Order: sequence, then structure tokens, then C-alpha cells
Amino acid sequence: MAPVKPADEIVYADYQSSKPVDPRVVEAMLPYFGGTFGNAASLHAVGDDATAALEDARAAVARFFGAQPQEIVFTSGATEANNLAIIGYAQRNRRKGDHVIITEAEHISVLNIAKYLEKNGFRVTHAPIDLYGRVSPKKLRARITDETILVSVGWASNEIGTVQPIAEIAEMLAGTGVALHTDAVAAEGLVPIDMSAVPVSLMSLSANDIYGPRGLGALYVRKGVQVAPVLLGGGQERGLRSGTEDLASIAGMAAAAGIMAAEMPAEVARITAIRNRLVERVLAEIPDAHLNGATLKPPGGRLPNNAHFRFDGVEGEAMVLSLRDEGVAVATGSACSSKTLEPSHTLISCGLLHEEAHGSLEFTFGRFSKDDDVDRIMAVLPGVIARLRALSPLYKVKTPA
Amino acid sequence: MKSTQYSEKTLEHFRNPRNVGTLEGPNVAVGRVGNPVCGDLMDIYIDVEDDRIKDIKFQTFGCGSAVATSSMITELVVGMQLDEALKVGRGDVADALDGLPPIKMHCSNLAADALHEAIKNWRAGIKPAEAIATPVEKSCHPRPAEVVEVEIANLDDYKSKGVYTRVDDQTALAGQRVVVLDTGDRAAQLAIDLTDHTGRVVLMTTGKEPSVSSAVRSALRLSDVKLLTEAQPLELKGEGELERIRVHALNEDEEYELTADALVVLE
Repeated sequence: MAPVKPADEIVYADYQSSKPVDPRVVEAMLPYFGGTFGNAASLHAVGDDATAALEDARAAVARFFGAQPQEIVFTSGATEANNLAIIGYAQRNRRKGDHVIITEAEHISVLNIAKYLEKNGFRVTHAPIDLYGRVSPKKLRARITDETILVSVGWASNEIGTVQPIAEIAEMLAGTGVALHTDAVAAEGLVPIDMSAVPVSLMSLSANDIYGPRGLGALYVRKGVQVAPVLLGGGQERGLRSGTEDLASIAGMAAAAGIMAAEMPAEVARITAIRNRLVERVLAEIPDAHLNGATLKPPGGRLPNNAHFRFDGVEGEAMVLSLRDEGVAVATGSACSSKTLEPSHTLISCGLLHEEAHGSLEFTFGRFSKDDDVDRIMAVLPGVIARLRALSPLYKVKTPA
Repeated sequence: MKSTQYSEKTLEHFRNPRNVGTLEGPNVAVGRVGNPVCGDLMDIYIDVEDDRIKDIKFQTFGCGSAVATSSMITELVVGMQLDEALKVGRGDVADALDGLPPIKMHCSNLAADALHEAIKNWRAGIKPAEAIATPVEKSCHPRPAEVVEVEIANLDDYKSKGVYTRVDDQTALAGQRVVVLDTGDRAAQLAIDLTDHTGRVVLMTTGKEPSVSSAVRSALRLSDVKLLTEAQPLELKGEGELERIRVHALNEDEEYELTADALVVLE
């Protein structure tokens, strides 16, 4: 049996999947388990304390995203926020039309919600992406009809890290009566998000993606945008999301937003440097390695923490397993590691062949990534690729004939 | 259960696969199964003496399970009579590995099939080179080596909307996903030149190899052009402009869609 590395010796390069909760956030959450434990809906003093804490937290989260406090609806996570945004908006505004547009770079939660809408009488169109994973506003516009009520474009791809031209799309849709929803989970804390500057109607957020607790998210609902609730009950969160608010987690998200607001510029610069060094070294030191998604050089448009590669002749799950043995935690878009056994739809839509999509490997860095992570990755990655290529009937070394 | 929750034995075979490689000689046969499109491709070589598997090797592109099952079957059947080896099935391989995750039982447990294919090829006198060139799923479609006339039903609908019959200004294709149809050396050279302007150039050919001279073939091999062989374009799709090409995979007799911004069909 290969030795299993203790958690603190693992190079964690899968921040896209999950992030550790910042210890300062945990500290901020603790008072809400025993001390301020009230229900914000209760009328007594214990409840009043909870109400005050809840509204303070709502204001802090709103401030970080350039929103008004009443525009923030807390949910159990970004998946629920996506459900509320897309299903809630489509159902509430059905009399205006039955057509919804999403893109081919969306997270699986949006794709499956769109399928649900189709089963329930809506029509869904997918807007294409280019070689770099970018949605073309022009091609998006060409798909809008009189029946279109909602367009959903992720702020950035959770997979290949391509940042979408959200401001441009929002400007294009402003005044047309078509609402824009964006799943901003992959982008939050990595690129500036300001609702006072970008006319987005609905935006899904997750607490964990700014190093807050898992199990909490929020939906930004711009003032005046009509949404029907998908979870019914006591009418909390302005009737849009019933269920007693999880005050500890909400306080955690607020603390996470405050820390991020103060530290984001320096943190992004540091993460970008780590990511850039990995990309440079992989492309220079491993033959037949390719970067998927946007280039690092201008025009760019890539999340600062994301490096997504493909390696000719090697399958992704085999790479992830081998790197697991070497103490490196990464993700792949290969079919063989997914529940559906389909390779990443985003990579296929970028124009890759199935066999290329199977050979993908995704590194994402974050707040606790160390400067020597790249050295530790590069101490093992070339060997892993070489070993698997030696097994592979597909890999032929490129040498002059 | 996660698809990667493998038994310790499976992981051990993945980490230290036995009998990796190829075999040569007059008594060697090979069986190839799988399809890189699905993420698995497996070659099993057997060296036969007195109707017995004297030596066995494998090469596999695939996930952990694909590698481990290949390795395990080589251990299970080395030294066996061919008839006996034919009785070793997928279930035996999975059992010998202390089981496989349910989702992998069908997709990545092809080693027994590859072995059976190798034995069948040995008995039919099919040489390794031929066996590897012949797809497992027999295709009823001809695979001509020479350039075929391109017959894309709606090619004209996309003229000047993504379809090019000549490329005067290569910079106009910067950043685009370009598919060049293999119409000989000139097309292949254009494909190579275009890699200076865009990161994605596919040379699509109906043959097993592009129909080019040996000099251009070496240049292609060293270039960043992605070769797509045994592929026949059928139809173009897109709202107003070219967005996708419906392709017939001749070796699989399957159809799929390839995303592309530009299709070059030189006149």
C-alpha cells in the first residue's frame, strides 16, 4: 500500500471544489451558537438581538458586492440561489414569455435547472462559447426573441476559469425587459463584483467561495425584480426563502466578506503569481501539454487562480489518482471521474475532441496556497505524465521522422 | 460511491502495472478494444506457443480501472491454454481485483474483451499491424485512403459565414477554431501556417492518415495541428454563422458535433 499523506502535507490545488473556512471567520461565527442564539422572527429581546445581528450581516455582505441590504436573500448555498433565481424568475414572469437562454459554459446546477424548466413547458436555448470559453454578446443577442424573459451567464467558468463579459452583456440587455442572472460563485473574491456598476438582475453567491462556511449562499435580487419563492414556509427573507435564518453561517459570510474586502488586492496578486509560475513551468517542462481556456497574455480574461491543462495521450482520472498518491489534490474534467461518464461539456463546447477533454487536469489556488506549491507539484507532475504515457497506446513522441 | 473508490488491490495494480509493453515475433497477436473518444483504449499482445499464452503485454489509455484490469488479466492468463483463457471474463477480472466501483463495471472493464479479441485474431491469422488498424466495431462504411469529394449538404448556406474556399488573410482567423478539410499538401500546409495565428487548428480527413506527401506529414507531426482522422463532415450548424460541424466518425459509425468557427475547404 502506498503511504497516505497526512492532510497538512498535501498540496491542495482544488480551491474550485472547496475552500477551507478562514479561522477568523470561524471565530466570528462562535457567538451565534450559544450567546446570540435567538430566532430573528421572535418578538422578545433574544429575538431582537438576532434580528440586529442578521441585518448587520446582510449589510456587510451587500457592501462587499456593491448592493443594497434589502437586495440580499440568504439561501442554503449557491445551488439553492440558482434554483430561486432561474425557476423563481421564470415562473413569476411566465406571462411575459417562455424562453430562457443559458450558455454552454454553465455549472451543472444551472444546466440541470434549465432541463427542469424545459420539462415544465419553457424553451431553453444554449448560447455558444468560443475557443477560450468566452460567450459572444453578439451571438447571445442573436438568440433573443420576443418570448425571451431571462438570460443566465455565469460570471466565470468554474472549470476553465474564463471570465465572461458580464458588464457588456448586462448593458446590452438593459432596457430590453430581459433579465440577466449570473452565477458568480467561481468569480467572487477573485475579480471585482459591483452591483452598483453592472446592471445584473439576479446573482447567485456562495459563502464558502470567499472562505466562509459551507451550506450558506445568497441570491442578489435587484430592487424591482420579481421572483416567486421555490421554498415555502414562514415567509422569512421577504417571503423569498422560508426557514429560520442560519445566523452563525450568515455572520460567517459577513465576516468572510469583510476580510476579503480588505485583503483581496494583495491576495489576488499573490495567487496570480503562483498560478502563472505553474503555467509557465508546465508548458516549458512537460512536452505536449496545452493550456485550456483563456490565455495568460492579453486579451486574457481568465480567473487569477485557475490553470487548466490537457496532456496528449493521458486520461484525467489516472492523473488525479497518481497525483493523489504523490500528495497533490487536483480535479479533472474527464468522464471517467464523473457520475455521468460524459466528459466536460465546457471543454467539448470550446471545440476539443472527446479524447482531448478526457486528458484534462485543473489546478486552482487560493488563500492558503504556498509559494512553494508549484515546486512541489512540478517535482512529481512530469513523472506522473511520463509514466502514464509509457502505458498509453495513444501517445507517440513527436520526433522528426 | 465515488467512481474512484477502488479496492487496495486495484490501486496497487494501477500503481505498479505488470506486463506493460508490446510484443513482436511470428507468433504474436494483438486485441484492441475501446475507443479514445470514450476515454479508454486497450491493446493486449499475446505470444502463443503450443496453443498456450507464453507471454502477454498490454498498453492502455484510460482511467485507474482500465489500467488495473489490463494489468490483472495479464497475470491471470499467462501460461494458460487459449481455450481456458477464453473462459476468463469481465467478472473474473473484477473479482480478482476485489471488485470494482459499480459505474466502472461496464465502461472500464474491457481487458477480458481485449484478450478474447487477441485470441480470435491469433486463430484467424490476423497480424498485429492489421488488428490495430481495424476497428473493433466493424464499420459498413468505406474508408478510402484517397481524398474524397466533400459533400456537405448545406455547405453553400455558410459561405462567407464561416466557410472559406480560400484564405488570403490568415490573420482574419486569429483566435478562431479552424477546421481545414484535408484536400492534399496545400491544405495541410495552410493548417500548419494557421497555427501561427490561432491556438486551434484541426485537419480533418476521411482517411486513416492525411493524404499528404511525406515531407508535409513530418511537418504536420511536429506542428500544433490537431489531426482528426476517419472523420466525414456531414452538415453545418449555427445561428447565422458556422458554430458546429456534424461529423461522422467512420471508424465507430457514430455521429457527433465538433465546435468550430471556420471551415476551410480549398478549391
